[in-house]
Amino acid sequence: MNLPFIFETLERLIAGIPLTLELATLSVAAGGCIGLCIALMRLSGRWPLVAFAWLYVQLMRSTPLLVLLFLIYYGLGQFAAVRNGPLWPVLREPYWCALIALSFNSAAYAAEIIRGGLLSVGHKEREAALACGMSRLLYMRRIMLPLAIRQALPAYGNEAIAMVKATSLASLVTLMEITGIAASIASETYRPIGAFVAAGALYLAITFLLTRAVKAMEYRLTRHLRPPPTAPAPYPSGASA
Amino acid sequence: MNGERPPTVDLRELRKRFAGLEVLRGVSLQAAEGEVISILGSSGSGKSTLLRCINMLEIPDAGTVTVAGETVRLVPSRNGARQPADRRQVDRIRARIGVVFQSFNLWSHMTVLENVIEAPVHVQKRPRAECIAEAQELLAKVGIADKRDHYPAHLSGGQQQRAAIARALAMHPAVMLFDEPTSALDPELVGEVLRVMRALAEEGRTMLVVTHEMGFARDVSSRVVFLHRGVVEEEGPPDIVFGAARSERFRQFAGR
Amino acid sequence: MAEPGFLGVVGFGSQGWGAVLLSGAVVTLAAALCGLGLGALIGAFGAWAKLSGGRLLQGLAETYTTVLRGVPDLLVIYLLYFGSSSVLTSVAGLFGQEGYFALPGFVAGTIAIGIISGAQSTEVFRGAFRAVSPGEIEAARACGMPPFLRFRRIIAPLTLRHALPGMGNVWLGLLKESSLLSATGVAELMRQAQVAAGSTRMPFDFYIAAAILYIVLAMGSGLLVEAGERHYSRGVRRT
Repeated sequence: MNLPFIFETLERLIAGIPLTLELATLSVAAGGCIGLCIALMRLSGRWPLVAFAWLYVQLMRSTPLLVLLFLIYYGLGQFAAVRNGPLWPVLREPYWCALIALSFNSAAYAAEIIRGGLLSVGHKEREAALACGMSRLLYMRRIMLPLAIRQALPAYGNEAIAMVKATSLASLVTLMEITGIAASIASETYRPIGAFVAAGALYLAITFLLTRAVKAMEYRLTRHLRPPPTAPAPYPSGASA
Repeated sequence: MNGERPPTVDLRELRKRFAGLEVLRGVSLQAAEGEVISILGSSGSGKSTLLRCINMLEIPDAGTVTVAGETVRLVPSRNGARQPADRRQVDRIRARIGVVFQSFNLWSHMTVLENVIEAPVHVQKRPRAECIAEAQELLAKVGIADKRDHYPAHLSGGQQQRAAIARALAMHPAVMLFDEPTSALDPELVGEVLRVMRALAEEGRTMLVVTHEMGFARDVSSRVVFLHRGVVEEEGPPDIVFGAARSERFRQFAGR
Repeated sequence: MAEPGFLGVVGFGSQGWGAVLLSGAVVTLAAALCGLGLGALIGAFGAWAKLSGGRLLQGLAETYTTVLRGVPDLLVIYLLYFGSSSVLTSVAGLFGQEGYFALPGFVAGTIAIGIISGAQSTEVFRGAFRAVSPGEIEAARACGMPPFLRFRRIIAPLTLRHALPGMGNVWLGLLKESSLLSATGVAELMRQAQVAAGSTRMPFDFYIAAAILYIVLAMGSGLLVEAGERHYSRGVRRT
């Protein structure tokens, strides 16, 4: 294992970071939006919506992401209607197929996390908001969502990390993100261990930074759960503080 | 009672049923401006439900609710119950009613100060600087000025309830509703909350208080209402009710 | 030739690939089971290391779980498949054997998913052990049970009961991870679907069929896990 080889490998792998990050970020964002809709459907109480949302989550969580990816990338091209349709320029591109697959898969997990967060907001805080004359929209914006986000953040951080790892599947539909580049280096140079270990180190660096970022956000948002910074000043009249 | 101004709160023939059990069976109550009414009764008598009908946290199946001269418009809903005709009217009326809950119900992700200014700024749309200044005065009035930047989790029960009272006062309410405000407090913290409520009563605020604190009911209220099984059994000034009540049940209840 | 419908092409008729798909599903199950076995062994050892190992063991276990939590499954599979053949070929070269030596894809693959699930299993067992009430273990110590008997009769069964839900999730993960083995040519369900899709130019039909089979496997497993949970929770008062 000589140094020039390692550096050259890292250089080539680093070129794959933008695509990895792009796929991960966009699919987490899209998955979050879709997941929010699914969670709201599940909580709506109207049984067709609830059933659809439940079914969506069950199916997405039982099938491997690879199946979904191939279904979209290879499977849709089977139909002449799709090949001649208006969406074909998008659906034949591996980039968009990967993005669609990752987003819809992430949405199922996001929906469960969001639902858990929304359900965790107690009815007491809701009643106080309604009693003040807050409209439902104002209550959701000022009270329910802030509290739900604080509850859901750790689990959502894990989901974001899972998405970064899931982008490696894009290499199986010809995309040259980190894993794709590593695989081609491995097959060119017949030195798979170096290439894959280097790629692994890059992923570790990304997930490490991501974990730290999520923890920092958690820290900032949970000031209300930590003990007060200074000892409370004694109340002048001497009543119990 | 003076006849010129309409009562601040006017409830007529309220009925409410929960899953087959009729909790309110035709309750009428008027509260004039400045009155302090204590609502007493054993559990299941419907007293909390009555209070919650005033700001539509519960919708009565029959009867009318009028607050500060405005009657809440109710229309029949799908499953035979009723629903508000206009959500905005309900929100507007609620903004004129200050509520203090048994379990304080402070918003845990906001500091005490932020809790107090939330409704004035975002519901009543008053300027933020003015709301903050007033909030600090109110917090000083209830005795927790030094806690304004603390989160609810750091306060004792009594302090949280006083913060909740300040939050209700910040909306400049026409009437204040107290739903068993001291029932969730440790005995030694009850006094500080009752002191604040007494001060509010002496200021001339219109208050409806559901409580078990007989002392408060006897010494501070201008009228006492005793509910039993969804009906008003006894009503009148405290010295009459506590001294010479007609209802045998009330005499048993108060004798405890 | 008449266009075979979906059922014709995935069924067992003359043009049906049903048998091929089912054989793939069997390989999927086998791979996942081997992965589960290996992962459970690693997980038990890893949990023990984290709970009561010395500083070195704890550090190693912590590194293991952190690394595997941050690296994609596909990469681990590639590393083991191509890496093992690279190592074996060099080692064989040292002994004077020429040529290409490799682990069979199935073996390399199950070792890979075993290592991956081992990290998850470590956390499951660790949490499950912490959930066992210390009073029950103390009672065992108090009546003079020697350590190994304590472990066999009290600690292990109680830990397993708490570990079931978590291990159920690890199993579901293994079923899905096994699909990645198709990238190294292992003839599990995904690979068979790929082959059939390529041969018949009907990828949609076959990937849908594969999805249906995965769903059946997942739901069937879910029912088994639930039954197991019920069986092992007898005597526990529902809170």
